[in-house]
Amino acid sequence: MGVHVFDTMGTMVSLRFAGSTAPASVLDEVEEAFRVFDERFSLYRPDSEISRMARGELPLTRASAELREAYADAFDWSRSTGGTFTPHRPDGVIDLSGTVKAKAMEAAARVLESSGETDWMLVAGGDILTRGDLGGPPWRAGIVDPDDRGALLCAVELVGRHTALATSGTAERGEHIWRTGDPRSPQRYRQVTVLADDIVTADVLATALVAGGPDRCPELIDRFDIEAITVDYAGHLTATPGLQSARGLTPI
Amino acid sequence: MRARALALSILSSAAVLTVGWQLGTQGQTPTVPDATATTTTTAPNGGSMSSAAAAPAPTPTAAGSSASATAPASDSASGTFTGTSVQTRFGPVQVQITVANGSITDVTALQLTDKDQRSVSISNRAAPVLRQEVLAAQSANVQGVSGATYTSDGYLSSLQSALDQAGL
Amino acid sequence: MTLRTAPTVPVRTRRMVDPVDRTRRIRGRRRRRTADAMIALVWASVAAAMTLWLAYGGLNTVSGLATALTAAGIVTGLVGTDLILVMLVLAARIPAVDRVVGQDTAMAFHRQLGKPALYLILAHGALLTVGYAMADGSNVVTETISLFQGPDMALAYLGLGLLIAVVVTSVVAVRRRFAYEAWHLIHLLSYAAVLVALPHQLSAGGVLADGTVQRVYWIALYVLAFGAIAVFRFAVPALRSARHGIRVAGVEQVAPGVVSIHLAGRDLDRLQTAGGQYAIWRFWTGATWWHAHPISFSAVPTASSARLTVRDLGTGSAAISRVRPGARVSIEGPYGVFTEAHRVAPKLAVVAAGIGITPIRSMLEHSTLRPGEATVLLRGSDPSQSYLWDEVGALRSMRGNAVFSMMGPRPQGLATWMSVEALAHGVTIGTVFPDLLNSDLYVCGPQSWIDLVIRDARAAGLPEDQIHVERFDW
Repeated sequence: MGVHVFDTMGTMVSLRFAGSTAPASVLDEVEEAFRVFDERFSLYRPDSEISRMARGELPLTRASAELREAYADAFDWSRSTGGTFTPHRPDGVIDLSGTVKAKAMEAAARVLESSGETDWMLVAGGDILTRGDLGGPPWRAGIVDPDDRGALLCAVELVGRHTALATSGTAERGEHIWRTGDPRSPQRYRQVTVLADDIVTADVLATALVAGGPDRCPELIDRFDIEAITVDYAGHLTATPGLQSARGLTPI
Repeated sequence: MRARALALSILSSAAVLTVGWQLGTQGQTPTVPDATATTTTTAPNGGSMSSAAAAPAPTPTAAGSSASATAPASDSASGTFTGTSVQTRFGPVQVQITVANGSITDVTALQLTDKDQRSVSISNRAAPVLRQEVLAAQSANVQGVSGATYTSDGYLSSLQSALDQAGL
Repeated sequence: MTLRTAPTVPVRTRRMVDPVDRTRRIRGRRRRRTADAMIALVWASVAAAMTLWLAYGGLNTVSGLATALTAAGIVTGLVGTDLILVMLVLAARIPAVDRVVGQDTAMAFHRQLGKPALYLILAHGALLTVGYAMADGSNVVTETISLFQGPDMALAYLGLGLLIAVVVTSVVAVRRRFAYEAWHLIHLLSYAAVLVALPHQLSAGGVLADGTVQRVYWIALYVLAFGAIAVFRFAVPALRSARHGIRVAGVEQVAPGVVSIHLAGRDLDRLQTAGGQYAIWRFWTGATWWHAHPISFSAVPTASSARLTVRDLGTGSAAISRVRPGARVSIEGPYGVFTEAHRVAPKLAVVAAGIGITPIRSMLEHSTLRPGEATVLLRGSDPSQSYLWDEVGALRSMRGNAVFSMMGPRPQGLATWMSVEALAHGVTIGTVFPDLLNSDLYVCGPQSWIDLVIRDARAAGLPEDQIHVERFDW
């Protein structure tokens, strides 16, 4: 196995290959893919296009086509998740961080595929995207226990059509999901992990499920082709049928 | 319109409507997979049924199908019954119920595809689960971990970095 | 032959009660019952359309505004389509329908259903779009786009467009601008509209789902409607025309602007034309083949010949009088309830004006009348309008029965069907026809003139059943 690690978008990306690591040119292209998104969409960079928009220096109508497209796409997600996912902060500023990292991962995936890499796992700040397998056995991902960062809740196989995994919650970066009501009420979700067939769906739905909570969970899970594991503030876990027997879990 | 024609029309129409209404209310048998069911849904296995579009199947359409689905009849009825295909907004949907001693013990969604021909389970519900053990990353044999996003600094103390180190 | 002028004092005759009378009443009652049953069937079919949704458990799907709108959308679609199928059946010229109520009544009903059907289908589209948009949390435009992309939905929208075109062009104001044939062609798009809408009815939604009784019933309705049209408007006429091999034998000018067309053919008596009926004729010459004319038989057909008398309309070579002997003719029919078989009363009162003489003459020819049973009044504004009058007087059935004439123009500015002279002499409908209230009144002539006759008859207290009218422009 070969592993390549680099930092981008304020986090670390790990790229693991089943065989040997890809050539440097490919790795450079992968890093470049992330950098392009970062430069345009990072709210932490004062000179990014989105920061300029947040300050009011750039109206949406004069933004680049890529930004407007990303905005429109985020809007579509907002509609199809019934508003639980939203590309706006409560103060109205456009915040596309919910989809940008995933889109960057997809761009990186395209780079890898066109370079002929068939078996790899891309981990970007907790979002996982895989292709192929580990030369036989499938790629496996663990879901971190929000109460004990050194332990796992369970381990999931990334096989078949569900090869993208994303977790959303408040454990690491604090309260970044905008939702109303008492964030500490026991029924609300503390962390949600979503397994889907593409990383943008996984990321958006993970965020939507945390924001919407148990009330909106059934409709979201029903409407999209995903598996999910939720953890609430009381420490209770729920899982969809496909994950109920994941390693470390047992149905009640 | 002549009085007799009017009377005949009203009478026959009322009769037809009553029949329909009766059939509609009778069709409501508890064979619907829905959130209030206490049964757990088993995972859909390789769908042997014909594929079609899936759906957030609104429960009443399944109720409509049960008029034509074989409903659990007598108390001693047991077995697995497959309902006929029901049209939902996104296409035909089929459910299978398992009955033991006259009560429904399980409802299985048969494999379906959504608009993009992807397989979707009709009744995807998150049900409570328990942790069997406290898993350590190394013993779980994973290559990546997912938790809420870590920062570049946070990475250093994260499980991912330990895995990456081991892999390098 | 000179005819007596209309009497100013009613002529008294003996009252007659007999088995023929009873048979007529029984038949009349049976026809009325059948007509009522047919109407009830139409409305029951509308109820059935709603029932399809009820039986599917539709009421249970309604849980809020969005679902209520969606449910309403489904029901309006079902009812609207049902009405359109009923309209097709009405226009199919089914003989049973013709015998009971006549094509003109059927077509009047057909026309009445047009706008409601369209409104229902429009509501169907609008309610579903809004209902789904509300349920999805999206807007109407997005929802329309998303609906449009559904399976068979593009066809459904096409059907809606065709339907709108058909109804718009059928609105009287628009219709006048089109030549009848052009308008009719557009109207036939309604068949296409209904057919292209069928796939989405069977594939979208749950009411007509695969394997349900509802689906079977629905398809049966379509088969019934289109089958009726295929059989009675295409197959039967085609076969009939081929079988009888009708050709024009000659064209005879009987009066200025009026011609009698003599037809020759095989087994024309097997058409079983009753006196007073008409058929829809197509003359296969270059200029006339695309017109279909409804023309009454002016004589009861024999085995090898038939006669039509008609006003010479059309210009140039499209004029019917230009049809050359030997030209092939196809027939649709015979149709019509202006016959002796539709009588309900013991006596017969007949009023004909101008071209209206045609069905009257054949009706009288076909009737078996006893002396004193019938009174016939022939009206003309001038002598050129008195064609076929002598034939009427010479009919066997008219022996012992009175035939009166009323000649002369109507009084200026007065709404009456009578001539100046008759009016001056105090003639009324009651003085012309003894026992009017015990008579069947048969009226044929120009549109507005007929309406005036009927007005007088109704005012005299004549029941609707006993008023028989042949209109030439339904």
